[in-house]
Order: sequence, then structure tokens, then C-alpha cells
Amino acid sequence: MSRFKSSFLLFLLLFSAYESIASEDIVQVSEEFTEALLLRPLPDRKVLAHFHFQSTAPPTRTYGRHHHLFPKSIYQLVHKFKVREMELSFTQGRWNYERWGGYDPISNSNAKPPGVELWADFDVPQHQVEDSWKNLTHALSGLFCASINFLEQSTSYSAPQWSFQSVSGKLRYGTLPREAVCTENLTPWLKLLPCRDKAGLSSLMDRPSIYRSYYHSQRLHLRSDEFDTSKTSTGIVLEQTLTVVLQPNTFSGKTSQLSWSLSSLFGRKVGGKCSLSNSSNVYVQFEQSLVSKVKELREKRESSKNEILMHEGFQNNPLFELSLPPKRIIKEVEKLTKEGSILYEFSVEDYDESEPFDLGLSWKVPVFWSCQQAPLRTSRFLLGSGNERGAIAISMKSTESNNVERSGRDDKECWLRVGIFQVVPWYVKVYYHTLEVFLDGEPQHTVDNVEKIHVSPSEDKVSPGVMEIVLRLPCSVSTAALTLEFDKGFLHIDEYPPDANQGFDIPSAVVRFNDFLTNISFDDNSLKRVPILSKLEENIPVLSYTEVLLVPLTTPDFSMPYNVITITCTIFALYFGSLLNALRRRVGEEERLLREKAAKKMGPLTLMLSKLSAKLRRKQWEPPKPSSSRKSVINKKLILKVLLVAGIAVAWQYYFQ
Amino acid sequence: MDADNTPSSPATADISEAPPTSASERPREEPDFDTETMRKTRPGLKRFTLTLTVLLSFLLGLPFLLKSVEIYRSPLPFREIDDLSAAVESNSLHFPCQFQAVFVDFGVPSFTANELSMSIESHMQKLAAKDSTFCGACSNNSTVSVTLESGSDCFYSNNDLKWKCGALNELNKFEGSGKYDDELFDDYLKSRLGDNGNSSNGGKVYTVIVVRKEEMEEVRAVVGKYRHAWMVGRVSEEAAVKKVAEIFVKVFVNGGKEEGSISGEFMPVGADGRIVLSFNLLNADPRYWTYGWEFQEIDDNLLAPIIDALKPLADIRVESQVLYHTPKSSFSYWDDKLGSYIFTRNDLPFFDLKEIFEVFIGQLRQLFGLKSKGLLGDVSGSLRLLTSEAGFTEWELDLLSRQHTCFNLLQCATTLGSLSRLVQSLPRMIIKDEIGKQVKYSLEAAKLAISNVSGGVYDASAVSSRQARSFAEDAFYHPSMMSVSYYSFEHCFAVYSPFFLPVSLHVLLAALREWKRYKQESRKYNAWKAKTM
Repeated sequence: MSRFKSSFLLFLLLFSAYESIASEDIVQVSEEFTEALLLRPLPDRKVLAHFHFQSTAPPTRTYGRHHHLFPKSIYQLVHKFKVREMELSFTQGRWNYERWGGYDPISNSNAKPPGVELWADFDVPQHQVEDSWKNLTHALSGLFCASINFLEQSTSYSAPQWSFQSVSGKLRYGTLPREAVCTENLTPWLKLLPCRDKAGLSSLMDRPSIYRSYYHSQRLHLRSDEFDTSKTSTGIVLEQTLTVVLQPNTFSGKTSQLSWSLSSLFGRKVGGKCSLSNSSNVYVQFEQSLVSKVKELREKRESSKNEILMHEGFQNNPLFELSLPPKRIIKEVEKLTKEGSILYEFSVEDYDESEPFDLGLSWKVPVFWSCQQAPLRTSRFLLGSGNERGAIAISMKSTESNNVERSGRDDKECWLRVGIFQVVPWYVKVYYHTLEVFLDGEPQHTVDNVEKIHVSPSEDKVSPGVMEIVLRLPCSVSTAALTLEFDKGFLHIDEYPPDANQGFDIPSAVVRFNDFLTNISFDDNSLKRVPILSKLEENIPVLSYTEVLLVPLTTPDFSMPYNVITITCTIFALYFGSLLNALRRRVGEEERLLREKAAKKMGPLTLMLSKLSAKLRRKQWEPPKPSSSRKSVINKKLILKVLLVAGIAVAWQYYFQ
Repeated sequence: MDADNTPSSPATADISEAPPTSASERPREEPDFDTETMRKTRPGLKRFTLTLTVLLSFLLGLPFLLKSVEIYRSPLPFREIDDLSAAVESNSLHFPCQFQAVFVDFGVPSFTANELSMSIESHMQKLAAKDSTFCGACSNNSTVSVTLESGSDCFYSNNDLKWKCGALNELNKFEGSGKYDDELFDDYLKSRLGDNGNSSNGGKVYTVIVVRKEEMEEVRAVVGKYRHAWMVGRVSEEAAVKKVAEIFVKVFVNGGKEEGSISGEFMPVGADGRIVLSFNLLNADPRYWTYGWEFQEIDDNLLAPIIDALKPLADIRVESQVLYHTPKSSFSYWDDKLGSYIFTRNDLPFFDLKEIFEVFIGQLRQLFGLKSKGLLGDVSGSLRLLTSEAGFTEWELDLLSRQHTCFNLLQCATTLGSLSRLVQSLPRMIIKDEIGKQVKYSLEAAKLAISNVSGGVYDASAVSSRQARSFAEDAFYHPSMMSVSYYSFEHCFAVYSPFFLPVSLHVLLAALREWKRYKQESRKYNAWKAKTM
């Protein structure tokens, strides 16, 4: 044993020596974790809080399978199902594109449809994609305590052709619009963070505050190039975001905007950074329209007071005041004539539990501004009534924002390309030939306005209907609408959910503005190292999700089969009984018996009855002849029958005990 | 229907049962004819046959109905399952093992090789009888082949195994150095035996070599890493025989387990033959210090040999993670006098990774029911057990694989037994063909494993026993078995009773009445007949 020990020690020494030599040659990439929080005042007195956590794992080839920071479950998931890219979001509430913005990178990547949305791109041969997807849904279902496993059924997911960036055809997309999102989904999501919610920015996630919010969406996005053969692989990047829209709960009637602080928003303060995080920053973003308001105000003041301002410091800001001095101010690179937005950066590193970080913002003067909008505001609704047929309409209204003009290349030929991706469950049977396009209320030739279309009709109980379409609209259009007619199908009685009368959901359609990309670019290259900022710098396509539609389907009376069985059986029993009676009836004998009975003595009541019946029949009443033993015989038979039934009942009870 | 073939008139149809009106006048003419007790015509059978036909057709239709509402149940081989459980449970599996004892330099032998063989066997049986037989033990009638080697002479017992005499000629080489290095000698023996014993049964022969050395006072007994042990020293033949039997039974068969220690019928291997070793480094507060470990190295250097060694038993996967902000597991307290935090000594291993791994290997061995002490004490001195770098020696692995096979078969039999009980207790449960197939495969694999066991093919029996178990578990945990969709008899009753209860009441009562009436009427007719005769 001692020999073994010493030899092992020697080996370890040798190995570590080798390691130190090796590390000099190759720059060892290690796991990284960063956390950030971005806060943004919204025009409707609400505040957007966007938590951003990023964990990276270097490729297995160089780094090995064991990690210090990267969550084990996600690593195993990536390797088991060979996931190239995946995004899973749990959302409650609907993103208000009109008020909270529809053009900036945050709203475009974090506004998600209600419920669960999952898409994944696999790095497996084509025939294994379905299996991988099914297994992945089950794994995620267990991991996040959600019914994601319902996406396993082929009726609930689809394979988009070109609506997503992937062109491999190995991407699968599915949504569960009715999934209720709550704390049991957040807790496993937090467990993927090295500090969970015990330290760092995630300690702000007070469950009641988050679930009281107007909108919250937790998202998990991972990208891996583990299975690429090229040498420049970066490993796995796991990005976790939580986007919350909160209403500050301080009430002051005078100002239009409410002052807030982290403790008033979340009820908690940050007691220092997560010690495993490389950077731990809080950003406060002011949108360009707000920034220009500040500029206006300042110019006004300058002209009146004739002061020269050295720097656009935060102290002498005429509009608002931040309770803490920012570490630095990051300005967006100005685009054309437009003012860029401004980010104030605060670092949590200098704070600890004795002196917690609590950023506050108070407004000095009332201010009104609006967010930058996507070129078209979309909404989707149902047409028609009744349980037989209907139509889906997607309407798009121009927001008259300046973006449209910017995209126009030529005055003559200015086109707006709008991609729509719509999945419809099979029981809503859409007739794709009824596709109609209206521009400014006028019906148009569909062919003129459709640039590209791909339709895969639904197959009953097998696959949903998928429509991918790219519309080409003139830039000057103010409203555009698209209608599709459908018939409502019938489900088998087993296929109805427990609350069938509530109706069935049609998942959100994705509307994508193909010519528009959004980002916030900064001129400082050192900022690229901060993941949240580099994320903001990425070009993201502008898209928006429509509402979820609720389609009422004909629901059967679920107790009907039993009613039918009972009624039919009773009728059959009656029929058989009377048939048998009729067959074994002896008319002559019965008459004779009746006569005999009548001849016998009767009680006063029967006497009266027979007299009455005779009178009714207008016959002469004959006095009945006395009968001796008839009554007792009937009684005996009755008792016998009752006994028989009771006996059967007792035997039954005894047999089935 | 009846003899009377005038169906046109109902009055004439009734003639057989009800006496016509003209007949009713007769009692006045014949004073001794009582209409209450007598009748002159033979009672008709028409209505009785009619009701009986209806009843019979109902009864005939019943099997068809039952057939139509029958649910599909794949036929399961219940009897074979019972046979398997009986076979596994009644006589616990015994593996044929091969033992070999070599006595070197015993001078002029006072016993023949056969006699020695017999006496070792009898000692072994005595020892084995003391220990209750456990799952995976060698069968009691295993043979021991004995070789007596003395100088150039060589005597063999009447067994197949032949020790190559003179193989230990180089023994003097070790002698020359003055003392034996056990590990070197072990490897040397391995190389010698490797040349020698591979002839039959995959070379799994347990060998004890007894070398008599007059000059050595103390008898030294060592069990090697492979499948052999040796004794060197001044030892008499009787003592050697006892000791050899003890080594065979206590070490090679029982795995050096202490008497009375109950390892239970348990093997820490999942139904799919997998083990996951999950290592978690817990850090209660990463604010002050972030601990790390080089787990990749541990995995490659320490765990890989163990995993490799245990490959025939189980497919082992290793995973690790570091968890932060976990509850504390080792507590310290502040001492004012010393001016420092104090931990108890028990926490010390937690600060040295390599020691932890020794602890871990010990734990793993314990999990498999093996001891980690280097010595095995008994009445006649102690035995030294050599340890392997891989954590498990070859004979230990043999033992584990025997036990594994045995437990797998037991588990398979229990699972199939409970499956068959469950299926028989729920007569209206749907059983898919797939389950039937899995049960069939499981039974086949189990049979193969049993036949391999009796043939002494360890590896193949381990593989097929694992298969048998996993098929059995698959069948038992098949999703369709778990579903509640099968509908109960009560359900069936609720659906059909609204029809069958009233209808059968009518039909039965009608048939009963007609039968009674027929009997009564025919009695009347007989009475009249008797009177007129």
C-alpha cells in the first residue's frame, strides 16, 4: 500500500509538472459565469428588469467532462441529445409591444408567447431528430417541473422550413400556450446558477414580487459547438434571462412617472455579488426618445441660464436623479440623425451585506415619451361564430415609425417584407386556398403580395398545419390584413382535455420583419467582454408574437353515453318483457279465470270498483263469485319474489366482498 | 310447434290447453269430473317451448357477448414463471468451482494425493456447512485436485487439473534474497500459473501452493491479487490441509467476509446494469474561499482502473459537480485561547483528496459487501490479503460476478413472479404483446443463465442473467401496465346491467311459470286418465 501511495504521489507530481508546462503553451480556457441586471423605465410608469446570466463551458475535447461552474444537467442534456442550439421560455402575461417597445434588442429577444415555447436544433442524422426531440422534451419536463413532455406528440410540434435561422431542417418548434408558469419552474431554473438565489443579483428574485408582475418570462438559451469538428469550437454557452415588468408600488399622484428603487421594486437589496461571477453589473438604460427629451430640457435650461455644462453627468441631469454614482456611462453609437440610448453602469462588487446595493431613481419633472416601435403592429383575432367554421385574421397596422423609411432602398420600389409563421392544431382545419390579403381595406391579389409561401397542411391526429409566408407590402401601407378560413374538427371523446368547454388554444403566430435588424452598438471594444452588452450589440431580427387564440369547439355531453345506454336498455327490456307476455298469453283461460274470480266474494272496495267499471263500460254488473285462496297465493308469490331478489343481492354482496 | 296444426284460429290453437267452452259444460253431465284437478286433453307444449327457446337463445348468446367485450391479453407463460421461481428459490444457485492444491517439498509423502484431496474436500464441506450458504457460493461438491511435488517426483490426484511440476524451480531465486516480497512473488506465480492452468474452463482455477520450508519457523500465508494463495514455512500436512480448506472456503468462496455479517441479497447495480458515481464538492460559502478539485485527473488516474475492473459487473459512469451555498457539513468553532478556528479530527480527511479517494474505494468495496482490511484473522494464525491497484482483486471480482448472477436471477424470478400475480389478480387488464415477448425473452435468458451456471461459464451467465433481469423489469414497468385505462368488472356490469337485469328477469320468470304450469296441467291430465282407465 505504501509503495502504491508513493508511486501515486510521484505520478501526481509528474503529472502536475507536465500540466504546468502544457499550460504555458496553450491559453487555458476556463469556465466562466457572469451576471447582470438591466433596468429600464417604461413609458407607462412601469419598470423593466432584465436579469442576464451566462455560463460557458470550454469544449470537452480540451477541457474534459468535469465542471466547476457549468451546470451538470445541462451539460449532460447537450451531450445526450446532441443539441446544437436550444431555447426554452416560460412566460406569463403578454408583452405590450405598443407601450414597452417592439424594436429594441431586449424586447425582440425576450418578448415571448405566453406559456412554454421550445425550439431546438439537433446535431444528429435526420432520422434521429424526432427521437431526440421527444427524449429532450421528457428530460426538460423533468428538469423544469413543467408539462413540456406534451410537446412529444407529433400533433404539437412542427419543423419550420425557413422561419428560423437554422437551415439544417433539424430544428423543431413547439409551444404550450396554456402552461401555467410559477415558482416551481423558477426554482429549477435558478438551480442552474452556481449561486442559485443565495447571493448576487439573483437574490433580488423575490417570488411574490416577480409573480405579481405584469409580465415575466424566464428564458434559457444554449448554444454548443461541441460536435463540430473544427478546432475553433467555443464549447457550450448557456444564457439564462429573466425579464420582468414591474409596477413600482410607491404612489405619488403628482408626477407622471413613479420613482423607484430596487428595494421598492423587489422588496430586497443586493448584498454583494455572486462570488463565482466574473462580473456583476447593474445597468440602467434610458431610451433614445427619453435621452432626446433630456437634451431638449437641458438646451432649454442652457439658453435660459446661459450655463455651460462640462459633461453630461448624472448629477446635473434635469430630468431624473440616480441615488448612486454610476461607475461609467455607456453611450450608444448614434445612428444617422438619431440620438442613441444611454446605459449607466453600476458595479455590485463594492457592496456587501452590511452596505447593500440599492439603486434608486427619482424623477424631477413629469415626462412623457414613447418607445420605439416595430414597423407594423400586429394582432390576430377570430372571425365568424358558431361551432362549425370560422376564420383567422391577422391584422397589421403601420406604427408610422421612421424605421420604414429607413429600410426603403428606392423611392419607387419600397417594399416591406413580413414573414409570418403560424402553427395551427389539426382540429382547426385551415383551408389555405382561402388566404386573402387586404391592403388598406381593399382585397388584393394574393399572388401579388406573397413573395414566398410554404404550407404543410395538417393531418388528422398526426401533425399540425404549418404555414410560413413572406408578404411583400408597399411601404406606404397603413393597414394590412390576412384572413384564412377554417372548419372546426371533431375530437374523439378521449382526446378532450378535462376542461373542454374552455376552448382550445391556437399558439401565437410569429411575425418577422425580415429587413429589420436591431442592435445597440457601442464604440468601446472593451465592452464586448461583458456578455450582456455583447448580446445587445448582436444584430437581432425584429419580430413580434401575436395573441393566443381561443377557439371554442363543439364539446359533447360527456355523460351522454351512459344516458344512451340506460335508455336503450330500458326500452329493450320493456320490449322483451311485453313480447314474452304476449306470446305466452292465454286469452280464453284468462277470461274464464276472471269470471271465476268475479263470481267469488269480494271486499267492499273491489265491489265498488267492479261496479264502477261496469258502469263505465255500460254493462250490467254481475255480482262476483267468491274466491277462497287466490289472495294468499298471490301474497306468497310476492314474498317469494322479494326473497329471490334479496337472495340475489346478498349473494352478489357476498361474492364481491 | 305443437301437434295441432290449425294456426289460423286462436280459439282452436288453445284447444290443447284450455278446454273449449263446450267441454266446460261437461262437469254438469259428469258429476265426478272436477275441472280444478282434472283435464281431458293432453297439455300443450307450445308456449313452454317458446319461452324455453328464448331463454336458451339468450344463454347461447352469452358466450358471444363475453367474447365481443373481451379485452386482449397476451398469453403469459405462468407455469414457466412459477417453474423458474421454484428453480431459483428452492436450491440457491451453486456454481461449480475448481480448486487446486499444490504441496511442494513435503519429503516422503505420508498421504497419497487422492487422500489429501478427499480430506481437503471434507474439511471444506464442514466449513461450508458452518457458514450458511449464500447466493453465489460454490457448490459443495466442487472437486479439489491435489499435486504432491517433491524434488523430481510428482503425484497427482484423479482429477483433470494437472499442475506442471517443476514450475516453481525458480523459487530459490526468491529465497536467495533472504525474504519474500509478496507482491513480486504474486506476479511470479501468476506468470507460472498463466502458463499452466489455462487449459480448461477459462483458467478460473483457485490454487493454493504450500511450500514446506524447515528453516522457517513461522508459517506465512498470503492470498494474492489473482486466483492463488500460498503458504510457506514449517507446516505439517494435516495443518496444511486444514488451512488450505479454510483459504478455499473463507477467501475464494466467501470473499473474506466475516461470519455472521449479512451482506443481504443486494448488489448496488441498477436494473439496466449501470452504476452512476456522482461526486459533489460542497462549498458552504464561496465568498471567502472557492474550493476546486482536479476531478478530471482523479477520474483518469484513480477511477478509471476501478471502472475498468468492474466492467464485467456493471457499466459505471462518473459525474461530478461543485455545488455552492450548500448547508455546512463540517462545523468549526472559534477558540479564544488559541486564536483560531478548530475542527474535529474526524473532519481531517476532507482536506486531503487522495485520502478521500481511499475512503471512497473502501466505501465502494463495502457497498459491494467486501472487506478492506489487509488481514484475515482466524484460529490458525492470520492470512495476509494483497490488494490490487484497481481496488478489486481477481478472486473478489469472481465472487462479485457469481453473486451478481445469482442476485440478478433471484430478482428476475421475483419480478416475474409478482408480474404473474398482478396479471392474474386483475382479469380485465390489457396485456400487450410486447409484454408477453419481454417475459418470454426474460425467461429464455434466465434459463440460459441457469444452464451456464451449471456449466461453470461465469461471464456468459452474468451477461444473460443481467439480460433476464432487465427484460423482466422492462415488462413489469411497461407503460401500458401502469395505465389505469383497463376497465373494471364493475364498469362492465354498470354498462350491461340495465339491459340484462330486466330482460333476464322476464325470460327466466316466463320459462319458470310455463314449466310450472305444464307440470300442473299434465298432472291434471294424468289424474283424469287414471280415472277413466
